Amino acid sequence: MTVARFVHQTAYADHLEKAKIDPVTFEVLRNAFVNLVDQMSEQLLKTCYSFVIYSRDFSNCLCDAEGNTVAQGTQDIASHVGTLHWTAKAVIEAFAGDINPGDVFMINDPYLGATHFPDVRIIRPVFVDGTMIGMLQSNGHWADVGGRVPGSFDVTARDFFSEGLRIPPLKICDRGNFRDDVARLIVSNMRLPDERLGDLHAQMEATRVGETRLLELVEKYGVATVVTAFEECQAYVARVMSERLRRIQDCTYETVDYIDMDPTLEEGMIPIKVKMTIQNGRIHYDLRGSHGYINCFLNSAVGVTFSAIAAGTKTFFPDVPLNSGFYRIIDMDLPEGSVVFAPEPAATAGSVSGAFEKIMNAIFELWSRVLPERALACSFNLEYLLVGGRDGRGDPSERQGFMWYDWLAGGWGGRCTKDGANTTAPVFGVGLALQSCEVQERLAPITVTKLEMKTDSAGPGKYRGGVGLEKGAILGACSGTVMSYCCDRSRSVTWGIEGGLPSIPHGVWLNPETEDRRFLGGVFAGEPLSSGDHFTRPAAGGGGYGDPLDRDVNDVLEDVIDEYVSIERAAKDYGVVVHCIDKDVCDFSVDLEATSALRAAQRQSRKDKFSLPPSVVRQLFLDGAIDELDLVRHYGVILDFTQGDTPVLAHTTEQFRQSLRQRSLSHWS
Amino acid sequence: MSSVRVAVDVGGTFTDIFLMNDDDGTINVHKVPSTPSDPGLAIIDGLRSSGVPFSEIKHFSHGTTVGTNALITREFPRAALITTKGFRDVLEIRDSTKTELWDAYWDMPAPYIKRRDRFELDERVDAKGQVVTPLDRQELIEIARILRKREITTIAVCLINSYLNSVHEHEVRDVLRAELPQAIVTISADVLPEMFEFPRTATTVANAVLAPVVGTYMGQLTTRLRDGGYDGNVLVLHSGGGVMTAEAASHHSARLAASGLAGGAVAMRHLSQLCGVKHALGLDIGGTSSDISIMYDGDLRVTQDWSVEPGYPIRFPAIELVTVGAGGGSLAWIDEGGTLRSGPESAKAVPGPACYSRGGSKPTTTDANLILGRLGQVLIGGQMKLDASASATAIREHLCSALGMDLHETAAAVLRLANVKIADAIRVLSIQKGYDPREFGLVAFGGAGPLHACEVAQELAIPKIIIPPHPGITSAMGCALVDVRHDATRTLIAKADESGFRELLGLSHQARTQVAALLDSEGIDPGNRRYDYFATMRYVGQWRSLNVRLNENDTLEQVLAAFHAEHRREFAYAHEERPVEFFGLRVTGTGLLNKPVLPQLPVGTGEPTALGTRQVFFEGYGFVDTPVYDRHLFKAGQAFAGPAIVEQFDSTVVIVPGSRTVVEAHGNLIVDLGV
Repeated sequence: MTVARFVHQTAYADHLEKAKIDPVTFEVLRNAFVNLVDQMSEQLLKTCYSFVIYSRDFSNCLCDAEGNTVAQGTQDIASHVGTLHWTAKAVIEAFAGDINPGDVFMINDPYLGATHFPDVRIIRPVFVDGTMIGMLQSNGHWADVGGRVPGSFDVTARDFFSEGLRIPPLKICDRGNFRDDVARLIVSNMRLPDERLGDLHAQMEATRVGETRLLELVEKYGVATVVTAFEECQAYVARVMSERLRRIQDCTYETVDYIDMDPTLEEGMIPIKVKMTIQNGRIHYDLRGSHGYINCFLNSAVGVTFSAIAAGTKTFFPDVPLNSGFYRIIDMDLPEGSVVFAPEPAATAGSVSGAFEKIMNAIFELWSRVLPERALACSFNLEYLLVGGRDGRGDPSERQGFMWYDWLAGGWGGRCTKDGANTTAPVFGVGLALQSCEVQERLAPITVTKLEMKTDSAGPGKYRGGVGLEKGAILGACSGTVMSYCCDRSRSVTWGIEGGLPSIPHGVWLNPETEDRRFLGGVFAGEPLSSGDHFTRPAAGGGGYGDPLDRDVNDVLEDVIDEYVSIERAAKDYGVVVHCIDKDVCDFSVDLEATSALRAAQRQSRKDKFSLPPSVVRQLFLDGAIDELDLVRHYGVILDFTQGDTPVLAHTTEQFRQSLRQRSLSHWS
Repeated sequence: MSSVRVAVDVGGTFTDIFLMNDDDGTINVHKVPSTPSDPGLAIIDGLRSSGVPFSEIKHFSHGTTVGTNALITREFPRAALITTKGFRDVLEIRDSTKTELWDAYWDMPAPYIKRRDRFELDERVDAKGQVVTPLDRQELIEIARILRKREITTIAVCLINSYLNSVHEHEVRDVLRAELPQAIVTISADVLPEMFEFPRTATTVANAVLAPVVGTYMGQLTTRLRDGGYDGNVLVLHSGGGVMTAEAASHHSARLAASGLAGGAVAMRHLSQLCGVKHALGLDIGGTSSDISIMYDGDLRVTQDWSVEPGYPIRFPAIELVTVGAGGGSLAWIDEGGTLRSGPESAKAVPGPACYSRGGSKPTTTDANLILGRLGQVLIGGQMKLDASASATAIREHLCSALGMDLHETAAAVLRLANVKIADAIRVLSIQKGYDPREFGLVAFGGAGPLHACEVAQELAIPKIIIPPHPGITSAMGCALVDVRHDATRTLIAKADESGFRELLGLSHQARTQVAALLDSEGIDPGNRRYDYFATMRYVGQWRSLNVRLNENDTLEQVLAAFHAEHRREFAYAHEERPVEFFGLRVTGTGLLNKPVLPQLPVGTGEPTALGTRQVFFEGYGFVDTPVYDRHLFKAGQAFAGPAIVEQFDSTVVIVPGSRTVVEAHGNLIVDLGV
């Protein structure tokens, strides 16, 4: 495999005149730039049509004349971080010499550094006296960009042609003239074209709001000062980051995380390798050794990969502002043709559930070694469920198609001083709000049976992972209905660190409380459903941090009282024996003597279980001697629950056990 | 025997008391230290020290942080929540978002009720309002048994889809009342019959847990005032900007959660109108933060989107306020990138700014103001001396060398950053709401508001500033200027056609009945009532909705026209051909109280006489020899040019060069910045 090296250049707009800037004007302008982008966000939130944008899946930024990011919004979604400068640069390159006042550009091409097709970017260059001084960019996730399926997440896509409309850099406004024909061509290839046009205008308007404010600043401070401040803002962040990195001893760490599978290959998880080197005030990420691109849409192209790297790193420097100065201290090596550097035309729409999550959590793990006081185990995987068909409720003449697009929150990883955060939005973007069940029941023929915190869903640890969720629903009157699901980690189960244990597998169960119950897995498409079908899926808890046998017995007791942890699993996972005295008044007690005996016994025997032949373990499971959580947490065995006879996934099990040996077993005394 | 109005603002540090004699119009103001463990004590002590016999008080209203504090500290009796089976955790799951995007070690606040005290009940109403699973009474009686055993008497009930059909919530309440006569049961159908299960649950729970706290507090305060001889209503300001009686407050307790903040906005509105200003921004700068409020066309902005703590919305209509972490005590510091920063950390009341000589050694915005001559070294009341040398040391040691600037340059930079930060917050708010600040007046109050008003206004190109007569107790004064007010809201989702409009009118009639019953219970004379109706509307397919005022006898066409017009104003466009839908409604019932007539100053002419001059720094001018005035000597109609310093008991006003200030009839200073 050849390797592409990405080293960020310090390319300032050298042709523009600069001014000396005093520290106060600098700070005023630095704040003003972020404030300007926040104003763009407010404008977009007010006027967007896509509920996905309204749920905060968007970002805005100010770029300098070279396309470098100067400022991003304070509430922007994590998964867009580190991609806005790629698309600005792509526009500058494609239209060199032909960027004029009044132009507005559009792009969504992941192979040029965008995220995925639904994230449509609008870019407006800003001119002063005929010279371009910067650009304003608004990036929003449109609810549909065409392609084979509504919502443009084609789980079965092998290439981008079924994922919707690919938009290379193009002019949507030419010297102030809105190109109606081009806009029509674009939205005509999408579902609900009027709404898409609404989103387009909302984003254009957001960039206009930013332009107005930027020109006010130019008027007040002078163009040379503003342009200098663009550079200084980036230099400032780069300086802060390099200083912090220099305080860290040079080091190299590596790890591997996995996507569950390539559906067209033999079973076996898809490795994503990340090696991090900190040296001379810079960070180098090397993803060589990662698997080749796969035949499903979980691949990431360069933009999403860098976004995961930048956002993962930023999580350990929460107070450092985001702009190209941050990206400038990061280098990366990506293997060509790999799952993390997918070539055209590999499918990438699901990259945020696939490669993005794996890279970001791998980076959490690597940084947990460098900055142990900020350590973070693996968090639940981004997931979304789509159920669509014809609504069978109400007057037959008024029945319409429906589309139920649902996502969950889950548990975040355990931390070095405390449990992981319960039921929180995904690492993909913590601003992504859950939808109301009452609204969903109005809009689609479903009845939600539960939306609750799932007992025992948290990965055990000295500090356990955050508690996950479970959501179930029954389908009402409808016809022609199918269900698709985009997630991952039904095999590459959300892991713990420093001795902590995994949480629970992701995946959808159909008719769970019946004889015909079926596990549909973590990624599937077009599963036919009929009225009365009941389906449910968890959002995993976070992985645990530290040895669960070291957890304070009182913390286990409190968890039992709140039913975050069952009495049964308090014993199995934590070695803590809890007796119920009077549940009515929350009176439970820990049997300290039995607990120390149990913990001692578990310390003796627990490691050996991970060496038992998987077929033997499977038999224990079939005999009812152990349950599904024991398989994952205490034996490291992965069975294929989508098959009726639950065969052992031998290669997957081997990989999973290797991961457990490193992340969990090796830390147990 | 005279007739005195009392308005009190109970803050975290001080309890401000505003007394006005209705007979001769004299005003007295008092500031006493607050008594957080028993907030009513400071009120009583403050009133006693004012010397007014309680029997001469004719009207008592106040704003209090008692509800806010109880929520933040979780100091309320253990409570339980009853939900539909499968929805036990709605309260804790929230909408799952975090307000700190990047800090993985920062967590959202814990829910007000722990999981162990949240109970599920087998029952179900569907999305059409039909009962699909009848309520399991046996299970409910079992829950009651457990609650009795746990000695829990505060119970919130919020069932799925109860906004469409509340029959089960009522049944739960009736059964629990029979089973647990001591318990206070709060059902969501009474509190907030609106769609969206999480905000409805959160509001119901906030209301339930505050009920015993507010009930006890109001009961004690009423007893103390009665014992002293006051026999009128004990009124308390709610977040919607009206007052209610102790009785109503104990049922709508969560309406008190922003009580302490609404007073300033109410005063801002009143004073702007006295000064003939149509649109105004209120800027209340205190020690640690600034609160910004908006009045447009005489109406204060009302929102249902607010919370005391991030993540737990309280959906009662509330006056919209934005708080920014910039106040007099905001610390100035150098970050690791070598850049000067201001706030959001504050020196608070203790240790306070360096110049307070209370142990603070870090530079604050107040220290910068002192070094620049904007604050005098002795405040006019003479109660407090400020130590300029301490300020200078703090600025030199922490800032000057890192920046390579001298003392005065550095102080000017600190000031400028603080002003820009406030201006930026106003800018985002204006964009959010679609307003252009240049069309607004800026009403500046709070102890530090008048110190910063001119520069903030200049930054935003706001042409006119109003400085109230008593900037430091403006919030307390606001409590004297309010009416009794109640709101009722409903969800409806219907096309904005004739049939939807009929549905809207039917529901607004229902909501009006609810509001009228509350006004009845407060003894408001029917002749003194006013009802206002607002519809929430949006284009079909859009995600944000707008509030449109409905006038009595409006036709559907008129309502639609009003919607398009409001949409054009707020979003800069309208699609008159697009289908519109109703999304909800609000009815506000106002019980008009007779309001104090603020006294007028004696009339004067010409310029007031300055006490002297001092050197004051102004951006773009440097130090300027500036006249210092005593505000107590001002006469109505007098005018003077900036630069000027105006000192008074509770504040210092800084007026920039190039401006002109007029003393308004009621003593407001109206500064025309000449832009």
